[in-house]
Amino acid sequence: MGDLGRINQLIVTIGGQNLTFNLQVILMTWVVIAALLFFGVMVTRRRGMLPHSMQVLGELFVGQFYQLTEDALGKEYVEKYAPLICSVFMFVVLSNWLGVFPHLEEPTKDLNTPLSLGIMGFVIAHYAGIRSKGFKAYAKEYFQPVFFMMPLNVIGELAKIISISFRLFGNIMGGSIIILVVSYLCYSIVLPPFLIAFFGIFVGTIQAFVFTMLTLVYISIQVK
Amino acid sequence: MMEFDAQAWVKVAAFVGGGIAMGLGAIGAAIGEGYTASLANLAVSRNPKLSGDIFKNMLVGQAVAESASIFALVVAILLLFMNTGDATLIKAAALLGAGLSMGFGAVGSGVGSGFPGGQACLGISRQPANTSRLTTNMLIGSAVCQTPAIFSLVVAFILLFMDFSAAPLNPTWAALVGAGLSTGLAAIGSGYGGGMAAGGSCEGIARQPEATGNVTTVMLVGQAVAQTPAIFGLLVSFILMFKVFPETTQLQTSMALLGAGLSTGFGGIGPGLGNGMAAESAVCWVARNLPSAPELMRIMLVGQAVSQSTAIYAMVVSLVLIFVV
Repeated sequence: MGDLGRINQLIVTIGGQNLTFNLQVILMTWVVIAALLFFGVMVTRRRGMLPHSMQVLGELFVGQFYQLTEDALGKEYVEKYAPLICSVFMFVVLSNWLGVFPHLEEPTKDLNTPLSLGIMGFVIAHYAGIRSKGFKAYAKEYFQPVFFMMPLNVIGELAKIISISFRLFGNIMGGSIIILVVSYLCYSIVLPPFLIAFFGIFVGTIQAFVFTMLTLVYISIQVK
Repeated sequence: MMEFDAQAWVKVAAFVGGGIAMGLGAIGAAIGEGYTASLANLAVSRNPKLSGDIFKNMLVGQAVAESASIFALVVAILLLFMNTGDATLIKAAALLGAGLSMGFGAVGSGVGSGFPGGQACLGISRQPANTSRLTTNMLIGSAVCQTPAIFSLVVAFILLFMDFSAAPLNPTWAALVGAGLSTGLAAIGSGYGGGMAAGGSCEGIARQPEATGNVTTVMLVGQAVAQTPAIFGLLVSFILMFKVFPETTQLQTSMALLGAGLSTGFGGIGPGLGNGMAAESAVCWVARNLPSAPELMRIMLVGQAVSQSTAIYAMVVSLVLIFVV
């Protein structure tokens, strides 16, 4: 049980400031990136009119997410935002699945990963809002319904980052803690594989989809 | 009072905490399962030929609804039998906080995850051809509905296993109890609300099976927004658990931290329920009026955001209590 909350850290001091690197998380993120690159190469290799099985998988996947983006944002924004939505989903879902394999851990279990993805989505959504409405109309929304509500509106917007990133983090972290504690209680007999299937694969997929949909919804609120 | 030593207080807190965790944790799941069973009866009386399918679906739905109570059972057993290690008064507060967090946290998710189970049973009697779609949607909905209970479990486990003995006793005890209350109470509304959304989606799919994809998507977004108050509770809990508070002899500092937990905790119940209502009717009507799905989702999100503002006020008050007072 001792390894609950233990983190391998590399602390580098530059100009009097401590920079902390969570080595395990960085390594696991690289594993995810490598796996995604491999998947991309496999899907696009030897493309043809008669698709091979990997190509069919890729086309189905991409088509599904283009459709979702079109439903949420409308036709004119599909080309621009669908690649982002696709890649966010692929990255998060693979990160969540990674804990299924022994000795690998989910990068999303560390708050830094969901938080940086959340901030990325937030910045993109607001940039999209300013681009489509113009800065004046964008800034005006913060003074609705009355001008002194401005601070609360800003906090409400910032709370979206917290809500999207803590949701992913809490679910994945919670799942892995439950698996750890139950394995410890029942000496890893019988139960853990079912828990891993439920929390690792099922909940991991749903939460990745929720994360992606919320990123999309945040963009669509700003754009329209 | 003085004749109790720290060891005895730790045991007292562990036993009381275990009792609270399992006692409160038993409320929600039982209500949810009863609701599932009652709608299953209705479904069988409508379509007796399908009693086998409905029975199977009822049991699966009840098994998922039970998980919040099982979390509470795990925490209660750990509290009763775990070797607590260091015997300090802070540990006693942490154990009590763990019990409160898991006990309250299991109520909402337990009741809520009964709704999709019941509506799926009813839907099977109406649309036997779509049994597998309904069961899948029910499983997704009730799994997402467990999220607030999982948050409470995370807080409970951190309180159980983290070593707080280095922190000064005086404000820290209140911070730890407050951390338990914050996530635990805030999870009630979110769990219940998420269940309402999931129930509405099963009902909608039974009306119009072609709308399954859209209904599930809107349900997931609605549930996710309904869970935001529980996430605010989790955030306040994390701040209360991991911030280092300077030692103080004044009681009001401790009470401010306890109040911070109570504010976000109670403040999250209403918004969670309200957001769940908004999501429930949105998914119901998406199924009946598929072409208007984008507009319905927009209205749902705006309504939820307004209803959520009270949870944000509660969180602002908590943060002021923690950082300013």
